[in-house]
Amino acid sequence: MDVPCSRARHPGLLARAASLAAVFLVLASHVSSAQAPATARDIVDHVDRLLRGESSVGRLVMEIETANWSRHLELEVWSRGRKHALIRVLSPRSEAGTATLMVEEQVWNYLPRADRTIKIPPSLMVGSWMGSHFTNDDLVKESQLIDDYDIEIAFEGDRDGVEVWEFELIPKPEVAVVWSRLEYQVRKGDMMPTWARYYDEDGAVARSLQFSDFEVMGGRLVPSVMQILPADKPEESTVVRYESIEFDIGLSTDFFSLRNLRTAP
Amino acid sequence: MTSGRIWGRIARRNVRRNRRRTAITVGALALGFVASTVMIGLSEGIVAQMIENGTDLLTGQIRVHGPGYEPERSLYSTLGGRAGVDLDQMLAAIGGVAGIEAVTPRVYAGGLVSSGEETAAGILMGVDPELESSVSRILSALEQGRLPRRREREVILGQVLADRLRAEEGSEIVLVAPAADGSMGNDVFRVVGVFRTGAAELDAAYVLLHIEVLQALVALDRGRVHELAASVDDVWSSTEVVDLLPAAISSLDVEVAAEPWTRFRPDLAEYAQLAASFNWIIVLIVFVMAVFGVANTMLMATWERRREFAVVRALGAPVTGIVRTVVSETMVLGVVAIALGVAVAAPIVFWWSQAPPDLSWIVGDFTMAGALVEANLRVEPSVKGPLLSATGLLITVFLAGLYPAVRSARQRPADTLAGAE
Repeated sequence: MDVPCSRARHPGLLARAASLAAVFLVLASHVSSAQAPATARDIVDHVDRLLRGESSVGRLVMEIETANWSRHLELEVWSRGRKHALIRVLSPRSEAGTATLMVEEQVWNYLPRADRTIKIPPSLMVGSWMGSHFTNDDLVKESQLIDDYDIEIAFEGDRDGVEVWEFELIPKPEVAVVWSRLEYQVRKGDMMPTWARYYDEDGAVARSLQFSDFEVMGGRLVPSVMQILPADKPEESTVVRYESIEFDIGLSTDFFSLRNLRTAP
Repeated sequence: MTSGRIWGRIARRNVRRNRRRTAITVGALALGFVASTVMIGLSEGIVAQMIENGTDLLTGQIRVHGPGYEPERSLYSTLGGRAGVDLDQMLAAIGGVAGIEAVTPRVYAGGLVSSGEETAAGILMGVDPELESSVSRILSALEQGRLPRRREREVILGQVLADRLRAEEGSEIVLVAPAADGSMGNDVFRVVGVFRTGAAELDAAYVLLHIEVLQALVALDRGRVHELAASVDDVWSSTEVVDLLPAAISSLDVEVAAEPWTRFRPDLAEYAQLAASFNWIIVLIVFVMAVFGVANTMLMATWERRREFAVVRALGAPVTGIVRTVVSETMVLGVVAIALGVAVAAPIVFWWSQAPPDLSWIVGDFTMAGALVEANLRVEPSVKGPLLSATGLLITVFLAGLYPAVRSARQRPADTLAGAE
């Protein structure tokens, strides 16, 4: 599903979708359970854990707007920790059953029309996922922020009347990542992320991610809407909206199998 | 009889005086002519091969796209935009342009190619097999199997890609490609053939299928194609032919961007120019060596005839007459050498062009400036090689004759006749 086409200029479509799931799961954690972390890395890790939970299942809608077409996808997403995710397309009917499995850093796609499972080779992880502005690489890498980046607090204080942290994430020298750096804002009051910016090798913003519509779902406060905006195509966007989500549902690693990739769990 | 004809006659007579020396001089010049002609032919053979393989193999000599297709080569940037074109009319209009030999439509898509456990990125290329064969040679590079058919989910793969996917004729593969409607086109296809062009980028990445089948996979209508590729009668006339295209398709109201191969393969054009200038270097090297030999011969010949020149001068002949007779002698030698050289070089070049020695057992085929070059010593017959060589030879004999001529003319008749050396 990640195909090296001209449209897929933003790395990692499939990964993006997966990362979306991960981020949403992270978002889902309840503020009251948060203990004030000490360092920037601890805070980002804490937010990630809050939103991700031990495991989760959710339904979401993905709206993709491009210069050439618009799409509306309904998805079901399962995840366990940072290393396991399964995403299945529910609609449109023509693509229902199409599914993506992420285990560790490996990604497989199931194509019901061809009735085949394809493993995405590492060299193709930057391809678009289902035509969205998310990539396969997003799916894998987004869950590894605290491992792949050195994180520092770039700003701490008031932004438009809201106390926030703004983090700067610089990739570790030994890690191969697409971005030259990331910026990430988290509200202090409820530990909710509000936006993230991704910078390319030239130091320019390549895309931004906006979190909104914070509401309690599955017993946790989560940003139920996430929008990704590619900087070079201002008329394009991908919006993900959670319709429902449950946390800590006791999924084991066995759930994330090639068999479940092919058939609805 | 005019003085010019007299000096020419004297020159011809003098050439016949010492026939052995004349034969050796003419033989050396003719050998230089043959060497120069054959070396230029070899150089042009490599250039011709590069241009042929660089354009005939896939691209054709002229490409027609929608404006803005390059460099992004977006799936959506089809000729005529989203509405597409009337393909039959477009093909007929371009095919009717003077100098166009054939024209074929193409559709491209980036995709995943998967077979069994293996998956690779591939360039999916939709072609009309009948028309394509008139423009490019890629379909004739089929090593096994047959061409994909219309309305059948069949593909042919490059040999390297097939090996990577562990696929062969009869294998099933899955193609996945983003479609123009935003969906993810995917389906199972049967490999009906494997091609090997020798060009790494083609053999390692290209998947060819019938144009209508690819259009269906990526949700493009029949009138939506990315490229019209054309071959021309004369590769060097491509630019002029491109200039004729706008008028030819003006009635179709389609905005296009047409390019000759010299624009989309500037590396090849630059190499051809470089090789052309190298031809002059070949001529220079060959005849600079010859000029000293001929000059030495003429110095000896004029020294032997110094008393004759003195008598002629004493009888009132002008200095220019001496110069003209000596230079005329060398020019006669040059003309005879060219005639002999043409007589020897023509059959060699013809034979060599028809049966170039195959060196693939030593070095194998290789790519140069992105074009496949076969490892054979092919000589390209052309008028340019003999013309350049003849020009170089005539300049050589003129220069070689000038110094002895001037030296003979400057000698004082009285001193020479008195016995002074």
